[in-house]
Amino acid sequence: MADLRAQDRVIAIMRTGLLVVTAVVQLGLNAAPLVRHQAEYRPAWVVDAAFAVLALVTAVCAVWVLRGRPLPTAVVAVGAVVVLVASSAVTAALPPDGFFLDVHWSFGLVGWHLLVLLFDRVGLLVAALGTHFAASVVQFALAGGHDRAEVGAAGVVVLSVLSFQAAIAVITLVLRRQSRQAALVAAERDRVTTRAALAEQWERDRRVTFAGQLGATLPLLVGLADRTLDPRDEDTRHRCALAATQLRRLFAENDEVPDPLVHEVAACVDAAQRRGVEVSLAVSGAAVPVPTAVRRELTAPLVVALSAVRGRARVSVLRTDEEVRVAVMTDTEVGIDGGSALVEVDCGTYGEHTRMEARWRTRTG
Amino acid sequence: MAHEDRLTAVVVDDHPAVRAGVAYWLTSGTPPIEVVSSGEDVSAAWLDEGATADVVILDLHLGGPTPVLGDLRRLVEAGRNVVVYSMRADDEIALHCLELGALCYLTKAEGADHLVEATRAAARGDAYTPPSLAGALAGDRSDHRPALSARETEVLVEWFQSESKDFVAQRLGITASTVNSHLERIRVKYAQIGRDAPTKAALVARAIQDGLIGVDEL
Repeated sequence: MADLRAQDRVIAIMRTGLLVVTAVVQLGLNAAPLVRHQAEYRPAWVVDAAFAVLALVTAVCAVWVLRGRPLPTAVVAVGAVVVLVASSAVTAALPPDGFFLDVHWSFGLVGWHLLVLLFDRVGLLVAALGTHFAASVVQFALAGGHDRAEVGAAGVVVLSVLSFQAAIAVITLVLRRQSRQAALVAAERDRVTTRAALAEQWERDRRVTFAGQLGATLPLLVGLADRTLDPRDEDTRHRCALAATQLRRLFAENDEVPDPLVHEVAACVDAAQRRGVEVSLAVSGAAVPVPTAVRRELTAPLVVALSAVRGRARVSVLRTDEEVRVAVMTDTEVGIDGGSALVEVDCGTYGEHTRMEARWRTRTG
Repeated sequence: MAHEDRLTAVVVDDHPAVRAGVAYWLTSGTPPIEVVSSGEDVSAAWLDEGATADVVILDLHLGGPTPVLGDLRRLVEAGRNVVVYSMRADDEIALHCLELGALCYLTKAEGADHLVEATRAAARGDAYTPPSLAGALAGDRSDHRPALSARETEVLVEWFQSESKDFVAQRLGITASTVNSHLERIRVKYAQIGRDAPTKAALVARAIQDGLIGVDEL
Protein backbone atom coordinates (compact mmCIF):
# COMPACT_ATOMS: atom_id res chain seq x y z
CA MET A 1 0.00 0.00 0.00
CA ALA A 2 2.79 2.38 0.94
CA ASP A 3 4.39 1.79 -2.45
CA LEU A 4 1.17 2.45 -4.29
CA ARG A 5 0.96 5.78 -2.50
CA ALA A 6 4.56 6.45 -3.54
CA GLN A 7 3.51 5.80 -7.12
CA ASP A 8 0.63 8.26 -6.75
CA ARG A 9 3.13 10.79 -5.43
CA VAL A 10 5.39 10.38 -8.48
CA ILE A 11 2.42 10.95 -10.79
CA ALA A 12 1.30 13.97 -8.79
CA ILE A 13 4.79 15.51 -9.03
CA MET A 14 4.95 14.96 -12.80
CA ARG A 15 1.52 16.51 -13.26
CA THR A 16 2.47 19.50 -11.11
CA GLY A 17 5.59 19.98 -13.25
CA LEU A 18 3.48 20.01 -16.42
CA LEU A 19 1.07 22.50 -14.85
CA VAL A 20 3.91 24.86 -13.90
CA VAL A 21 5.35 24.61 -17.42
CA THR A 22 1.92 25.44 -18.89
CA ALA A 23 1.48 28.47 -16.63
CA VAL A 24 5.01 29.74 -17.32
CA VAL A 25 4.68 29.28 -21.08
CA GLN A 26 1.34 31.08 -21.18
CA LEU A 27 2.10 34.00 -18.86
CA GLY A 28 5.84 34.31 -19.51
CA LEU A 29 6.14 33.60 -23.22
CA ASN A 30 2.69 34.12 -24.75
CA ALA A 31 1.37 37.24 -22.99
CA ALA A 32 3.95 39.50 -24.72
CA PRO A 33 3.13 38.50 -28.35
CA LEU A 34 -0.60 38.77 -27.54
CA VAL A 35 -0.18 42.35 -26.47
CA ARG A 36 2.24 43.16 -29.29
CA HIS A 37 -0.02 41.87 -32.07
CA GLN A 38 -3.37 43.13 -30.67
CA ALA A 39 -4.02 45.22 -33.80
CA GLU A 40 -3.48 42.33 -36.23
CA TYR A 41 -6.20 39.97 -34.91
CA ARG A 42 -9.65 40.06 -36.48
CA PRO A 43 -11.36 40.49 -34.11
CA ALA A 44 -8.97 41.00 -31.22
CA TRP A 45 -11.52 40.30 -28.45
CA VAL A 46 -11.85 36.64 -29.51
CA VAL A 47 -8.12 36.14 -29.06
CA ASP A 48 -8.13 37.95 -25.69
CA ALA A 49 -11.07 35.81 -24.55
CA ALA A 50 -9.28 32.64 -25.68
CA PHE A 51 -6.19 33.68 -23.68
CA ALA A 52 -8.37 34.27 -20.60
CA VAL A 53 -10.17 30.94 -21.06
CA LEU A 54 -6.87 29.04 -21.36
CA ALA A 55 -5.55 30.74 -18.23
CA LEU A 56 -8.80 29.80 -16.49
CA VAL A 57 -8.41 26.14 -17.48
CA THR A 58 -4.91 26.17 -15.98
CA ALA A 59 -6.24 27.76 -12.78
CA VAL A 60 -9.09 25.22 -12.46
CA CYS A 61 -6.66 22.32 -13.01
CA ALA A 62 -4.40 23.78 -10.33
CA VAL A 63 -7.19 23.28 -7.74
CA TRP A 64 -6.79 19.49 -8.01
CA VAL A 65 -3.23 19.15 -9.26
CA LEU A 66 -1.63 21.17 -6.45
CA ARG A 67 -3.40 18.99 -3.88
CA GLY A 68 -2.05 15.88 -5.60
CA ARG A 69 -5.52 14.67 -6.63
CA PRO A 70 -6.44 13.23 -10.04
CA LEU A 71 -8.64 15.50 -12.17
CA PRO A 72 -12.37 14.64 -12.17
CA THR A 73 -13.63 13.27 -15.50
CA ALA A 74 -16.06 16.18 -15.96
CA VAL A 75 -13.25 18.73 -15.60
CA VAL A 76 -11.09 16.80 -18.06
CA ALA A 77 -13.88 16.51 -20.65
CA VAL A 78 -15.01 20.15 -20.45
CA GLY A 79 -11.41 21.37 -20.21
CA ALA A 80 -10.25 19.48 -23.32
CA VAL A 81 -13.18 20.70 -25.42
CA VAL A 82 -12.77 24.29 -24.22
CA VAL A 83 -9.02 24.22 -24.95
CA LEU A 84 -9.53 22.86 -28.48
CA VAL A 85 -12.28 25.40 -29.22
CA ALA A 86 -10.13 28.27 -27.88
CA SER A 87 -7.23 27.11 -30.06
CA SER A 88 -9.40 27.03 -33.20
CA ALA A 89 -10.84 30.44 -32.32
CA VAL A 90 -7.37 32.02 -32.09
CA THR A 91 -6.27 30.33 -35.33
CA ALA A 92 -9.41 31.61 -37.10
CA ALA A 93 -8.70 35.19 -35.95
CA LEU A 94 -5.09 35.19 -37.24
CA PRO A 95 -3.92 37.45 -40.04
CA PRO A 96 -3.43 35.33 -43.24
CA ASP A 97 0.33 35.43 -43.02
CA GLY A 98 0.52 34.80 -39.27
CA PHE A 99 0.18 30.99 -39.11
CA PHE A 100 2.63 29.22 -36.79
CA LEU A 101 4.54 32.44 -36.17
CA ASP A 102 4.93 34.66 -33.14
CA VAL A 103 1.38 35.95 -33.56
CA HIS A 104 0.00 32.35 -33.39
CA TRP A 105 1.08 31.88 -29.77
CA SER A 106 -1.77 29.48 -28.98
CA PHE A 107 -0.41 26.76 -31.29
CA GLY A 108 2.37 25.65 -28.96
CA LEU A 109 0.52 26.45 -25.73
CA VAL A 110 -2.55 24.30 -26.27
CA GLY A 111 -0.46 21.12 -26.40
CA TRP A 112 0.69 21.81 -22.81
CA HIS A 113 -2.89 22.24 -21.64
CA LEU A 114 -3.82 18.95 -23.24
CA LEU A 115 -0.83 17.26 -21.55
CA VAL A 116 -1.99 18.48 -18.13
CA LEU A 117 -5.63 17.53 -18.73
CA LEU A 118 -5.13 14.12 -20.35
CA PHE A 119 -2.00 13.06 -18.51
CA ASP A 120 -3.42 9.71 -17.37
CA ARG A 121 -5.60 9.05 -20.44
CA VAL A 122 -2.99 8.27 -23.07
CA GLY A 123 -5.37 7.32 -25.91
CA LEU A 124 -7.39 10.49 -25.49
CA LEU A 125 -4.21 12.58 -25.22
CA VAL A 126 -2.92 11.30 -28.57
CA ALA A 127 -6.35 11.87 -30.13
CA ALA A 128 -6.65 15.42 -28.71
CA LEU A 129 -3.11 16.42 -29.76
CA GLY A 130 -3.80 14.94 -33.21
CA THR A 131 -7.05 16.89 -33.47
CA HIS A 132 -5.30 20.08 -32.41
CA PHE A 133 -2.50 19.74 -34.99
CA ALA A 134 -4.82 18.56 -37.76
CA ALA A 135 -7.27 21.44 -37.12
CA SER A 136 -4.45 24.00 -37.18
CA VAL A 137 -2.99 22.58 -40.42
CA VAL A 138 -6.42 22.43 -42.07
CA GLN A 139 -7.17 26.03 -41.05
CA PHE A 140 -3.76 26.98 -42.43
CA ALA A 141 -4.50 25.23 -45.73
CA LEU A 142 -7.99 26.77 -46.01
CA ALA A 143 -6.59 30.27 -45.56
CA GLY A 144 -4.82 29.67 -48.91
CA GLY A 145 -2.31 31.79 -50.86
CA HIS A 146 0.82 30.49 -49.14
CA ASP A 147 4.03 30.30 -51.09
CA ARG A 148 6.56 27.47 -50.74
CA ALA A 149 8.74 29.35 -48.25
CA GLU A 150 5.75 29.96 -45.97
CA VAL A 151 4.67 26.30 -46.18
CA GLY A 152 8.23 25.21 -45.42
CA ALA A 153 8.54 27.52 -42.41
CA ALA A 154 5.13 26.35 -41.13
CA GLY A 155 6.20 22.72 -41.52
CA VAL A 156 9.33 23.33 -39.46
CA VAL A 157 7.34 24.97 -36.64
CA VAL A 158 4.65 22.25 -36.63
CA LEU A 159 7.22 19.46 -36.61
CA SER A 160 9.35 20.97 -33.86
CA VAL A 161 6.39 21.68 -31.57
CA LEU A 162 4.86 18.29 -32.37
CA SER A 163 8.07 16.35 -31.70
CA PHE A 164 8.82 18.26 -28.50
CA GLN A 165 5.37 17.72 -27.02
CA ALA A 166 5.22 14.12 -28.22
CA ALA A 167 8.58 13.55 -26.52
CA ILE A 168 7.21 15.01 -23.27
CA ALA A 169 4.16 12.75 -23.56
CA VAL A 170 6.32 9.67 -24.13
CA ILE A 171 8.61 10.55 -21.22
CA THR A 172 5.70 10.94 -18.78
CA LEU A 173 4.24 7.71 -20.08
CA VAL A 174 7.47 5.78 -19.49
CA LEU A 175 7.95 7.32 -16.05
CA ARG A 176 4.41 6.42 -15.08
CA ARG A 177 4.76 2.85 -16.26
CA GLN A 178 8.06 2.41 -14.44
CA SER A 179 6.79 3.84 -11.18
CA ARG A 180 3.77 1.52 -11.41
CA GLN A 181 6.01 -1.48 -12.01
CA ALA A 182 8.26 -0.45 -9.12
CA ALA A 183 5.21 -0.21 -6.86
CA LEU A 184 3.98 -3.64 -7.93
CA VAL A 185 7.39 -5.21 -7.39
CA ALA A 186 7.69 -3.63 -3.95
CA ALA A 187 4.19 -4.78 -2.97
CA GLU A 188 4.94 -8.32 -4.14
CA ARG A 189 8.20 -8.30 -2.17
CA ASP A 190 6.27 -7.26 0.95
CA ARG A 191 3.71 -10.01 0.40
CA VAL A 192 6.44 -12.63 -0.02
CA THR A 193 8.14 -11.48 3.19
CA THR A 194 4.86 -11.65 5.12
CA ARG A 195 4.04 -15.08 3.72
CA ALA A 196 7.47 -16.39 4.61
CA ALA A 197 7.18 -15.07 8.16
CA LEU A 198 3.70 -16.59 8.52
CA ALA A 199 4.81 -19.95 7.16
CA GLU A 200 7.73 -20.00 9.56
CA GLN A 201 5.46 -19.20 12.50
CA TRP A 202 2.94 -21.86 11.45
CA GLU A 203 5.68 -24.47 11.08
CA ARG A 204 7.01 -23.66 14.56
CA ASP A 205 3.51 -23.87 16.07
CA ARG A 206 2.84 -27.16 14.36
CA ARG A 207 6.06 -28.73 15.64
CA VAL A 208 5.21 -27.73 19.18
CA THR A 209 1.60 -28.94 18.85
CA PHE A 210 2.52 -32.29 17.32
CA ALA A 211 5.26 -32.96 19.82
CA GLY A 212 2.79 -32.21 22.62
CA GLN A 213 0.00 -34.36 21.20
CA LEU A 214 1.99 -37.34 20.03
CA GLY A 215 2.60 -38.18 23.69
CA ALA A 216 0.47 -41.35 23.69
CA THR A 217 1.64 -42.54 20.28
CA LEU A 218 5.40 -42.51 20.66
CA PRO A 219 5.68 -44.87 23.72
CA LEU A 220 3.20 -47.18 21.99
CA LEU A 221 5.32 -47.33 18.82
CA VAL A 222 8.45 -47.85 20.90
CA GLY A 223 6.76 -50.67 22.82
CA LEU A 224 5.59 -52.38 19.64
CA ALA A 225 9.03 -52.05 18.05
CA ASP A 226 10.80 -53.44 21.13
CA ARG A 227 8.22 -56.23 21.41
CA THR A 228 7.53 -55.28 24.98
CA LEU A 229 3.92 -54.82 23.88
CA ASP A 230 1.94 -57.66 22.33
CA PRO A 231 -0.39 -56.58 19.47
CA ARG A 232 -2.70 -59.51 20.34
CA ASP A 233 -3.21 -58.13 23.80
CA GLU A 234 -6.58 -56.43 24.34
CA ASP A 235 -4.98 -53.53 26.15
CA THR A 236 -2.46 -52.90 23.35
CA ARG A 237 -5.25 -52.98 20.78
CA HIS A 238 -7.17 -50.45 22.82
CA ARG A 239 -4.10 -48.23 23.06
CA CYS A 240 -3.67 -48.47 19.27
CA ALA A 241 -7.29 -47.51 18.73
CA LEU A 242 -6.83 -44.54 21.04
CA ALA A 243 -3.63 -43.42 19.30
CA ALA A 244 -5.26 -43.79 15.86
CA THR A 245 -8.26 -41.68 16.92
CA GLN A 246 -5.99 -39.07 18.51
CA LEU A 247 -3.92 -38.82 15.35
CA ARG A 248 -6.97 -38.54 13.12
CA ARG A 249 -8.27 -35.71 15.28
CA LEU A 250 -4.87 -34.04 15.28
CA PHE A 251 -4.61 -34.15 11.48
CA ALA A 252 -8.13 -32.72 11.19
CA GLU A 253 -7.17 -29.87 13.51
CA ASN A 254 -4.98 -28.21 10.87
CA ASP A 255 -7.48 -28.41 8.01
CA GLU A 256 -9.00 -25.20 6.69
CA VAL A 257 -12.75 -25.87 7.01
CA PRO A 258 -15.78 -23.70 7.78
CA ASP A 259 -16.80 -25.73 10.84
CA PRO A 260 -13.60 -27.07 12.51
CA LEU A 261 -15.34 -28.57 15.57
CA VAL A 262 -17.68 -30.76 13.51
CA HIS A 263 -14.78 -31.60 11.19
CA GLU A 264 -12.72 -32.89 14.12
CA VAL A 265 -15.65 -34.76 15.66
CA ALA A 266 -16.37 -36.33 12.25
CA ALA A 267 -12.72 -37.42 12.01
CA CYS A 268 -13.04 -39.22 15.39
CA VAL A 269 -16.31 -40.82 14.25
CA ASP A 270 -14.66 -41.96 11.03
CA ALA A 271 -11.74 -43.51 12.93
CA ALA A 272 -14.22 -45.48 15.07
CA GLN A 273 -16.26 -46.56 12.03
CA ARG A 274 -13.10 -47.93 10.43
CA ARG A 275 -12.75 -50.22 13.43
CA GLY A 276 -16.21 -51.58 12.66
CA VAL A 277 -18.13 -49.66 15.31
CA GLU A 278 -21.57 -48.43 14.33
CA VAL A 279 -21.55 -44.69 15.03
CA SER A 280 -24.17 -42.10 14.17
CA LEU A 281 -23.41 -38.39 14.27
CA ALA A 282 -26.01 -35.66 14.76
CA VAL A 283 -25.23 -31.95 14.59
CA SER A 284 -27.61 -29.15 15.52
CA GLY A 285 -27.42 -25.42 15.93
CA ALA A 286 -25.49 -23.01 13.72
CA ALA A 287 -21.69 -23.12 13.92
CA VAL A 288 -19.98 -20.81 16.41
CA PRO A 289 -16.25 -20.04 16.53
CA VAL A 290 -14.51 -22.32 19.04
CA PRO A 291 -10.84 -21.67 19.93
CA THR A 292 -8.42 -24.50 19.12
CA ALA A 293 -7.56 -25.13 22.78
CA VAL A 294 -11.27 -25.50 23.63
CA ARG A 295 -11.85 -27.80 20.64
CA ARG A 296 -9.05 -30.04 21.91
CA GLU A 297 -10.68 -30.26 25.31
CA LEU A 298 -14.16 -30.80 23.87
CA THR A 299 -12.99 -33.68 21.68
CA ALA A 300 -10.53 -35.31 24.11
CA PRO A 301 -13.19 -37.24 26.11
CA LEU A 302 -14.87 -38.17 22.81
CA VAL A 303 -11.61 -39.67 21.55
CA VAL A 304 -11.31 -41.80 24.71
CA ALA A 305 -14.95 -42.91 24.61
CA LEU A 306 -14.95 -43.77 20.91
CA SER A 307 -11.70 -45.72 21.07
CA ALA A 308 -13.16 -47.86 23.84
CA VAL A 309 -16.58 -48.54 22.31
CA ARG A 310 -17.17 -51.98 20.83
CA GLY A 311 -20.77 -52.06 19.64
CA ARG A 312 -22.55 -48.84 18.73
CA ALA A 313 -22.42 -45.19 19.67
CA ARG A 314 -24.29 -41.99 19.02
CA VAL A 315 -22.27 -38.80 18.87
CA SER A 316 -23.96 -35.41 18.97
CA VAL A 317 -22.79 -31.84 18.69
CA LEU A 318 -25.18 -29.15 19.85
CA ARG A 319 -24.61 -25.40 19.63
CA THR A 320 -27.12 -23.27 21.56
CA ASP A 321 -26.90 -19.56 22.21
CA GLU A 322 -25.07 -20.23 25.48
CA GLU A 323 -22.99 -23.34 25.09
CA VAL A 324 -21.43 -25.98 22.90
CA ARG A 325 -22.10 -29.57 23.97
CA VAL A 326 -20.37 -32.63 22.54
CA ALA A 327 -21.95 -35.85 23.79
CA VAL A 328 -21.50 -39.54 23.12
CA MET A 329 -23.84 -42.36 24.13
CA THR A 330 -22.23 -45.78 24.05
CA ASP A 331 -23.02 -49.34 25.08
CA THR A 332 -19.53 -49.76 26.56
CA GLU A 333 -18.60 -48.58 29.98
CA VAL A 334 -15.67 -46.18 29.99
CA GLY A 335 -14.25 -44.16 32.81
CA ILE A 336 -13.48 -40.65 31.76
CA ASP A 337 -12.17 -38.14 34.14
CA GLY A 338 -11.07 -34.74 33.11
CA GLY A 339 -12.57 -31.41 32.51
CA SER A 340 -10.93 -28.11 33.18
CA ALA A 341 -11.71 -24.51 33.91
CA LEU A 342 -12.76 -24.18 30.28
CA VAL A 343 -14.66 -27.36 29.57
CA GLU A 344 -16.92 -29.26 31.93
CA VAL A 345 -16.89 -33.04 31.45
CA ASP A 346 -19.68 -35.24 32.74
CA CYS A 347 -19.72 -39.01 32.53
CA GLY A 348 -22.18 -41.55 33.88
CA THR A 349 -23.64 -45.00 33.32
CA TYR A 350 -27.40 -45.50 33.29
CA GLY A 351 -28.50 -49.08 32.83
CA GLU A 352 -26.92 -50.28 29.62
CA HIS A 353 -26.03 -46.80 28.42
CA THR A 354 -22.91 -44.81 29.18
CA ARG A 355 -23.18 -41.12 28.56
CA MET A 356 -20.28 -38.74 28.27
CA GLU A 357 -20.67 -35.05 27.66
CA ALA A 358 -18.22 -32.15 27.33
CA ARG A 359 -19.72 -28.66 27.66
CA TRP A 360 -18.20 -25.31 26.92
CA ARG A 361 -20.02 -22.12 27.82
CA THR A 362 -19.58 -19.63 24.99
CA ARG A 363 -20.44 -16.78 27.31
CA THR A 364 -18.13 -16.61 30.25
CA GLY A 365 -19.42 -15.40 33.56
CA MET B 1 -62.22 -36.87 7.44
CA ALA B 2 -60.82 -39.59 9.66
CA HIS B 3 -62.60 -42.90 9.90
CA GLU B 4 -63.32 -44.25 13.33
CA ASP B 5 -61.06 -47.26 13.35
CA ARG B 6 -58.90 -46.90 10.29
CA LEU B 7 -55.84 -44.65 9.97
CA THR B 8 -54.93 -43.59 6.45
CA ALA B 9 -51.92 -41.84 4.94
CA VAL B 10 -50.76 -40.54 1.58
CA VAL B 11 -47.06 -40.67 0.72
CA VAL B 12 -45.53 -37.98 -1.52
CA ASP B 13 -41.95 -38.80 -2.48
CA ASP B 14 -40.09 -38.77 -5.78
CA HIS B 15 -38.36 -42.10 -5.12
CA PRO B 16 -40.51 -45.20 -5.70
CA ALA B 17 -38.35 -47.23 -3.28
CA VAL B 18 -39.00 -44.72 -0.49
CA ARG B 19 -42.76 -44.79 -1.20
CA ALA B 20 -42.73 -48.59 -1.08
CA GLY B 21 -40.59 -48.66 2.07
CA VAL B 22 -42.74 -46.12 3.90
CA ALA B 23 -45.91 -48.00 2.90
CA TYR B 24 -44.40 -51.22 4.21
CA TRP B 25 -43.38 -49.69 7.54
CA LEU B 26 -46.77 -48.06 8.07
CA THR B 27 -48.84 -51.12 7.18
CA SER B 28 -46.75 -53.52 9.25
CA GLY B 29 -47.23 -51.63 12.54
CA THR B 30 -50.02 -52.38 14.99
CA PRO B 31 -52.56 -51.07 14.40
CA PRO B 32 -51.58 -50.75 10.74
CA ILE B 33 -51.78 -47.42 8.97
CA GLU B 34 -53.18 -47.81 5.49
CA VAL B 35 -51.42 -45.99 2.65
CA VAL B 36 -54.37 -45.09 0.42
CA SER B 37 -52.38 -43.22 -2.21
CA SER B 38 -48.85 -42.28 -3.12
CA GLY B 39 -47.14 -40.34 -5.86
CA GLU B 40 -44.09 -38.44 -6.96
CA ASP B 41 -45.72 -35.02 -6.66
CA VAL B 42 -48.12 -33.25 -4.36
CA SER B 43 -51.16 -33.90 -6.58
CA ALA B 44 -51.39 -37.35 -4.93
CA ALA B 45 -52.41 -35.57 -1.70
CA TRP B 46 -55.19 -33.58 -3.40
CA LEU B 47 -56.82 -36.20 -5.64
CA ASP B 48 -59.12 -39.18 -5.05
CA GLU B 49 -58.46 -41.07 -1.85
CA GLY B 50 -55.31 -39.06 -1.15
CA ALA B 51 -57.46 -35.98 -0.60
CA THR B 52 -59.14 -37.50 2.46
CA ALA B 53 -56.18 -39.36 4.00
CA ASP B 54 -55.59 -38.57 7.68
CA VAL B 55 -51.89 -37.84 7.25
CA VAL B 56 -49.75 -36.50 4.41
CA ILE B 57 -46.15 -37.75 4.47
CA LEU B 58 -44.31 -35.19 2.38
CA ASP B 59 -40.78 -35.29 1.01
CA LEU B 60 -39.51 -31.72 0.81
CA HIS B 61 -37.27 -32.27 -2.22
CA LEU B 62 -39.40 -33.56 -5.06
CA GLY B 63 -36.91 -33.73 -7.91
CA GLY B 64 -36.16 -30.00 -7.93
CA PRO B 65 -33.43 -28.24 -5.99
CA THR B 66 -35.82 -26.07 -3.96
CA PRO B 67 -37.89 -27.48 -1.11
CA VAL B 68 -41.65 -27.53 -1.78
CA LEU B 69 -42.48 -25.16 1.09
CA GLY B 70 -45.35 -23.59 -0.88
CA ASP B 71 -47.06 -26.99 -1.20
CA LEU B 72 -46.54 -27.58 2.51
CA ARG B 73 -48.20 -24.23 3.30
CA ARG B 74 -51.20 -24.99 1.06
CA LEU B 75 -51.70 -28.44 2.60
CA VAL B 76 -51.54 -27.01 6.13
CA GLU B 77 -53.94 -24.20 5.22
CA ALA B 78 -56.36 -26.83 3.96
CA GLY B 79 -56.27 -28.40 7.42
CA ARG B 80 -54.16 -31.42 6.48
CA ASN B 81 -51.90 -33.12 9.04
CA VAL B 82 -48.47 -33.09 7.45
CA VAL B 83 -45.36 -35.04 8.44
CA VAL B 84 -42.34 -33.69 6.55
CA TYR B 85 -39.99 -36.53 5.67
CA SER B 86 -36.73 -35.17 4.34
CA MET B 87 -33.30 -36.30 3.27
CA ARG B 88 -31.65 -33.27 4.82
CA ALA B 89 -30.94 -32.62 8.49
CA ASP B 90 -31.14 -28.85 8.08
CA ASP B 91 -32.15 -27.03 11.27
CA GLU B 92 -33.25 -23.92 9.51
CA ILE B 93 -35.59 -25.72 7.11
CA ALA B 94 -36.91 -27.92 9.93
CA LEU B 95 -37.81 -24.83 12.00
CA HIS B 96 -39.33 -23.19 8.94
CA CYS B 97 -41.54 -26.24 8.33
CA LEU B 98 -42.79 -26.10 11.93
CA GLU B 99 -43.54 -22.41 11.51
CA LEU B 100 -45.58 -23.23 8.41
CA GLY B 101 -47.55 -25.75 10.47
CA ALA B 102 -46.05 -29.18 9.79
CA LEU B 103 -46.73 -31.51 12.73
CA CYS B 104 -43.35 -33.21 12.42
CA TYR B 105 -40.04 -32.83 10.61
CA LEU B 106 -38.36 -36.18 10.31
CA THR B 107 -35.06 -36.96 8.58
CA LYS B 108 -34.83 -40.12 6.55
CA ALA B 109 -31.87 -41.25 8.69
CA GLU B 110 -34.20 -41.63 11.67
CA GLY B 111 -35.86 -44.89 10.73
CA ALA B 112 -39.16 -46.71 10.95
CA ASP B 113 -40.08 -46.29 14.61
CA HIS B 114 -40.03 -42.52 14.50
CA LEU B 115 -41.96 -42.42 11.21
CA VAL B 116 -44.70 -44.71 12.52
CA GLU B 117 -44.97 -42.77 15.77
CA ALA B 118 -44.97 -39.42 13.97
CA THR B 119 -47.69 -40.61 11.58
CA ARG B 120 -49.83 -41.98 14.38
CA ALA B 121 -49.50 -38.72 16.32
CA ALA B 122 -50.27 -36.68 13.21
CA ALA B 123 -53.42 -38.74 12.56
CA ARG B 124 -54.67 -37.52 15.95
CA GLY B 125 -53.58 -33.98 15.05
CA ASP B 126 -50.69 -34.19 17.52
CA ALA B 127 -47.16 -33.00 16.99
CA TYR B 128 -44.23 -35.40 17.25
CA THR B 129 -40.65 -34.37 18.01
CA PRO B 130 -37.97 -36.80 16.85
CA PRO B 131 -34.40 -36.39 18.22
CA SER B 132 -33.03 -34.43 15.25
CA LEU B 133 -35.89 -31.95 15.50
CA ALA B 134 -35.29 -31.70 19.25
CA GLY B 135 -31.70 -30.74 18.41
CA ALA B 136 -32.90 -28.10 15.96
CA LEU B 137 -35.24 -26.66 18.62
CA ALA B 138 -32.49 -26.71 21.28
CA GLY B 139 -30.07 -25.00 18.90
CA ASP B 140 -32.61 -22.43 17.74
CA ARG B 141 -31.06 -18.98 18.14
CA SER B 142 -33.65 -16.96 16.22
CA ASP B 143 -34.99 -13.80 17.86
CA HIS B 144 -38.62 -14.86 17.86
CA ARG B 145 -38.09 -18.29 19.44
CA PRO B 146 -40.41 -19.03 22.34
CA ALA B 147 -39.06 -18.93 25.89
CA LEU B 148 -38.48 -22.47 27.18
CA SER B 149 -38.01 -23.41 30.81
CA ALA B 150 -34.64 -24.85 31.93
CA ARG B 151 -36.26 -28.28 32.33
CA GLU B 152 -37.81 -28.15 28.86
CA THR B 153 -34.45 -27.26 27.31
CA GLU B 154 -32.77 -30.08 29.21
CA VAL B 155 -35.39 -32.57 27.96
CA LEU B 156 -34.78 -31.42 24.37
CA VAL B 157 -31.01 -31.73 24.71
CA GLU B 158 -31.08 -35.14 26.41
CA TRP B 159 -33.56 -36.52 23.86
CA PHE B 160 -31.42 -35.21 21.00
CA GLN B 161 -28.27 -36.72 22.50
CA SER B 162 -29.60 -40.12 23.54
CA GLU B 163 -32.52 -40.93 21.18
CA SER B 164 -34.03 -42.80 24.12
CA LYS B 165 -36.94 -41.46 26.17
CA ASP B 166 -36.35 -44.06 28.86
CA PHE B 167 -32.82 -42.79 29.20
CA VAL B 168 -33.98 -39.17 29.38
CA ALA B 169 -36.50 -40.12 32.07
CA GLN B 170 -33.83 -41.97 34.04
CA ARG B 171 -31.33 -39.13 33.75
CA LEU B 172 -33.75 -36.43 34.81
CA GLY B 173 -35.60 -38.52 37.40
CA ILE B 174 -39.01 -38.21 35.73
CA THR B 175 -41.35 -40.64 34.00
CA ALA B 176 -41.36 -41.25 30.26
CA SER B 177 -44.83 -39.73 30.01
CA THR B 178 -43.54 -36.55 31.67
CA VAL B 179 -40.81 -36.44 29.01
CA ASN B 180 -43.57 -36.62 26.39
CA SER B 181 -45.64 -33.90 27.98
CA HIS B 182 -42.57 -31.64 28.14
CA LEU B 183 -42.00 -32.23 24.43
CA GLU B 184 -45.67 -31.54 23.68
CA ARG B 185 -45.59 -28.34 25.70
CA ILE B 186 -42.55 -27.17 23.76
CA ARG B 187 -44.30 -27.90 20.48
CA VAL B 188 -47.37 -25.95 21.59
CA LYS B 189 -45.10 -23.01 22.40
CA TYR B 190 -43.63 -23.26 18.91
CA ALA B 191 -47.11 -23.63 17.37
CA GLN B 192 -48.11 -20.36 19.00
CA ILE B 193 -45.38 -18.43 17.18
CA GLY B 194 -46.13 -20.15 13.86
CA ARG B 195 -48.58 -19.17 11.12
CA ASP B 196 -52.27 -19.42 11.75
CA ALA B 197 -53.56 -22.77 10.53
CA PRO B 198 -56.37 -25.17 11.49
CA THR B 199 -53.78 -27.68 12.75
CA LYS B 200 -52.20 -25.08 15.02
CA ALA B 201 -55.57 -24.10 16.49
CA ALA B 202 -56.38 -27.75 17.15
CA LEU B 203 -52.98 -28.36 18.72
CA VAL B 204 -53.29 -25.42 21.10
CA ALA B 205 -56.91 -26.24 21.97
CA ARG B 206 -56.00 -29.82 22.83
CA ALA B 207 -53.03 -28.69 24.93
CA ILE B 208 -55.40 -26.55 27.00
CA GLN B 209 -57.88 -29.42 27.26
CA ASP B 210 -55.14 -31.78 28.46
CA GLY B 211 -53.95 -29.25 31.01
CA LEU B 212 -50.54 -28.88 29.31
CA ILE B 213 -50.86 -25.12 29.24
CA GLY B 214 -53.25 -22.71 30.88
CA VAL B 215 -55.51 -20.31 28.98
CA ASP B 216 -53.65 -17.41 30.61
CA GLU B 217 -50.41 -18.56 28.96
CA LEU B 218 -51.75 -17.82 25.47
